[in-house]
Amino acid sequence: MFPYISVLLAVLLVGAVITFLTRTREQARVVAVITTWIGFGITLIMALKYDPALGLKNFEESYTWIPSIGIGYHVGVDGVGFPMALLTTLVSAFCAVYAWGEKLRPNQFFGLLVLMDLALTGVFVSLDFFLFYIFWELTLIPMFFLIGIWGGPRKDYSAIKFLIYTHVASVIMLLGIFAMFYFNFKATGVYTFDIVALLNAYQALPLEPFWKNFIFAALLFGFLVKMPAVPFHTWLPDAHVEAPTIGSILLAGVLLKMGGYGLFRFLLPMIPNASNLFIYVIAVFGIVSIWYSAVAALAQKDIKKLVAFSSIGHMGFISLGVAASIAIGAEIPRIFAQTGAMFQLFSHGIVTSVLFGSAGVIEHHTGTRIIEDLGGLTKKMPRFAFLMVAGFFASLGLPGMSGFIAEFSILVGSYPQLPIFVIIAVTSIPVVAGYHLWAVQRAMFGPYNEHLGNITDVTWYEFAALAMWVFLIILLGIYPMPIFDMMNSTATYFVGSVLPTGGIVP
Amino acid sequence: MNLTLLAPILILVALSIVIILAGLFLKTKQKINLGYLTILGILASLAIVVKNGFIPAQYLFYNTLVIDTLSQFFNMVFLIVAILVAIASLKYYENNPNQDEYYSLLLLGTVGMMIVGSSSDLITLFVGFELASLSTYVLAGFDKKDPRSLEAALKYFIIGAISSGILLFGMSLVYGITGSTNLAVIFSTLSTSSAASLAVIFLIAGFGFKMALVPFHMWAPDTYEGAPTPITALLAAGSKKMAFIAAFRVFMIALIAVKTDWFLVFAVLAVISMTLGNVVAIVQKSVKRMLAYSSIAHAGYIAIAFVVVAYSLENAQLENAQFALAGGILHVLSHGIMKAGAFIAVALVGYMVLSDKKGPALDHIDSYSGLGKRAPITALMLTLLLFALAGIPPTFGFYSKFVLFLSAIRADLLWLAIVAVLNSALSVYYYAKVFMTMYWGEPTGGRIKESMPYVTAMVIAVILIMVLGIYPEPIYNWAISSAGALLGG
Repeated sequence: MFPYISVLLAVLLVGAVITFLTRTREQARVVAVITTWIGFGITLIMALKYDPALGLKNFEESYTWIPSIGIGYHVGVDGVGFPMALLTTLVSAFCAVYAWGEKLRPNQFFGLLVLMDLALTGVFVSLDFFLFYIFWELTLIPMFFLIGIWGGPRKDYSAIKFLIYTHVASVIMLLGIFAMFYFNFKATGVYTFDIVALLNAYQALPLEPFWKNFIFAALLFGFLVKMPAVPFHTWLPDAHVEAPTIGSILLAGVLLKMGGYGLFRFLLPMIPNASNLFIYVIAVFGIVSIWYSAVAALAQKDIKKLVAFSSIGHMGFISLGVAASIAIGAEIPRIFAQTGAMFQLFSHGIVTSVLFGSAGVIEHHTGTRIIEDLGGLTKKMPRFAFLMVAGFFASLGLPGMSGFIAEFSILVGSYPQLPIFVIIAVTSIPVVAGYHLWAVQRAMFGPYNEHLGNITDVTWYEFAALAMWVFLIILLGIYPMPIFDMMNSTATYFVGSVLPTGGIVP
Repeated sequence: MNLTLLAPILILVALSIVIILAGLFLKTKQKINLGYLTILGILASLAIVVKNGFIPAQYLFYNTLVIDTLSQFFNMVFLIVAILVAIASLKYYENNPNQDEYYSLLLLGTVGMMIVGSSSDLITLFVGFELASLSTYVLAGFDKKDPRSLEAALKYFIIGAISSGILLFGMSLVYGITGSTNLAVIFSTLSTSSAASLAVIFLIAGFGFKMALVPFHMWAPDTYEGAPTPITALLAAGSKKMAFIAAFRVFMIALIAVKTDWFLVFAVLAVISMTLGNVVAIVQKSVKRMLAYSSIAHAGYIAIAFVVVAYSLENAQLENAQFALAGGILHVLSHGIMKAGAFIAVALVGYMVLSDKKGPALDHIDSYSGLGKRAPITALMLTLLLFALAGIPPTFGFYSKFVLFLSAIRADLLWLAIVAVLNSALSVYYYAKVFMTMYWGEPTGGRIKESMPYVTAMVIAVILIMVLGIYPEPIYNWAISSAGALLGG
């Protein structure tokens, strides 16, 4: 079979290197756009060839790499990994268009963008822990430099906080991986870092409770920091506020998804063997994130920070959906909750891209992001206003847009298992709608703020990128089936075969 | 007796004599050719070592020298470091009239290290130690007009002499107990006794000084900071590793024979070394000093191998002892290459700031401001080397830490692994400060011509780090069979 994934990774790697080596801005952006769109094209072809019945065998490739300690090059995708890979290449491709006007060190900027695309795609397709960890860590480096070189005034602090915070989480996760490796070796005498093998081993082996919980907690910590869940979220608003627009889009749109992806790929299959307490832990993290972010967003003066907090809230819904899909209950709602949570990963990726893209447009065109200094932008930027308002509506969960599908499925699917948690989550919706609408009202409508002077509407490349995202949001809001079905089949497999009984009655 | 096995050492000895004699007849301008000759000689020696990498143990000179996979591995480490240092020195000492002595001492120092790596007798080991130490004492003070270099040399000499004394005392106790200086004989006759414990304590202290483990580390930052930078690379990457191979050889015997809870002693040394090294490195303003403290931290990581080996042997997990030892050996190699490369980059920055005179102190972090624009190749290479030191994949620095920390988990020493990874994460902070300064600081001057020898040395180091990081299979096999050679014998 044609090695789609390896070709995809190779194209992105070569593209990143070439972009770094380009001399002029023109060359850099053309190479970056071509590379990321080829990558997007490859994933689209893969989407057509994807077979839900195959599960992780889709586009699987497996070679030995460092056999002496059981490391292999093993890649493959299923209904969790593939939509994420698609999201990565899609967002990166649109970002390359959006960033068309970048003037500062363009070859490095676009090179880092393509490198980011590579690292993130790699995370979602890896099926070997060593390979996975390499890509997982590789995502930090382009983001660190994106924040550090193109960032705002407090970029030093934010960049290093981002790097250290998430790196600490990664190394703790690595210890969990080591422990899995060791216990598998102890039981079978085989060295392997293969993800599927180790996850199966975790279920099959009679581990001591301490190690069982340690492994689970170490991985969970790694993912919760990445998502991020309150109270491990403090690096995120800082990173977002200082990051350049592209950095924010990639950070919120794709990088945070690594945490959610980790929950599905690693922790769900481990649940039956882990302590039941973890169901509550995950659900509580979800609820706290939802409410805390809603209240915090209300108080934000900076529109980008507001958007950053909205991301934390949306990721909270994912935690809730995951918890609901492993709590005891009927199979149908659990599948529904899980599919919704997976869909939220994808949907939030494109919705938040529009929001951060809009915040970026406002900053580039007016020179400020403080909501109170804006006002009446619709009068000067009518085309932009349409796209931005569409994005905000999608974020607050307006029916007919992709965010609604996701959150509706999560809430409906979770209610039978975790009714109290769902009620608490639902009551946050007015607040969520409130801060979105309030921000739009103050920034976009009302009388035009004359202090802003004469501003221009969006440039063609910003418009093109935002419009593509909005188009997708509406398309998936009306007809989510292509992606929803893909996820649904994987969720059915998880719930039906891996976790047939579920956890505890709440 | 098969002298071809000793060829790598003999080549270097002969070369050093030839160089010092030739130096008498050459003008300063021509002496750079001696540098090229040195590099060629080391290359030849390295080729022989690598070719004979996997050989069954062979004893020479009445069982005082042993050539096995372990000694070959460490010979390779020393030769790689020596070659990097020699390449960088081409430029550093371009116009120095005493170049001939410099290269000759460099070669003799390397020979000393190689003898230590190959010795199977305490006396040979000590002689090799002293040969390497005496050569490096002189090299550390080679810039005799620079007071910092003199201070460095003096400190290094005094501490070195004291630690040699301590070491020798420990060895004499061992001799007193067993009646032999041969390691194999010691292994079979040494047993648990209070005198043996005392001997091990003295040996730990003596080697601890050479390895710069906390609390025996005080000399290291000052010496590393003051010594000529290529020599700093040799000290941190080469002569420090010599102490590790000596300790590996001697302690494995002590650990197996003297069955006491040594693991806790090493655990304390490892933990305080890495923690203190990393914490103190954070506040350093001098990049050279920062790297010096980072090398103390790395000594702590390597010491994890001792801890895990000791613990595994107590619990009869021979396979994991071998695994941990291989991790330590790999980290010796990776740290040697990374540190040598990083110090060479520092040497280059110092050299170029010297040429535009008005900058801040040579190795002050502010000299690195905007280096990404001023000297893009150096900045990129230094960034990659620092990533490797921080243990970011896919570099070899990551892989060697990966094996080390994995061995700690395998030995059920979770707390040690947690301390180690948190330390490793902490170290990212001060490395990141360097590339932050390089890439988003304002340039303090114009574009700099990056001289060829330095760039060559750095590029070699980076290529080694990346290639070994992406495909560590062969080197891992070498390390594991070296570990087997030591534990099996």
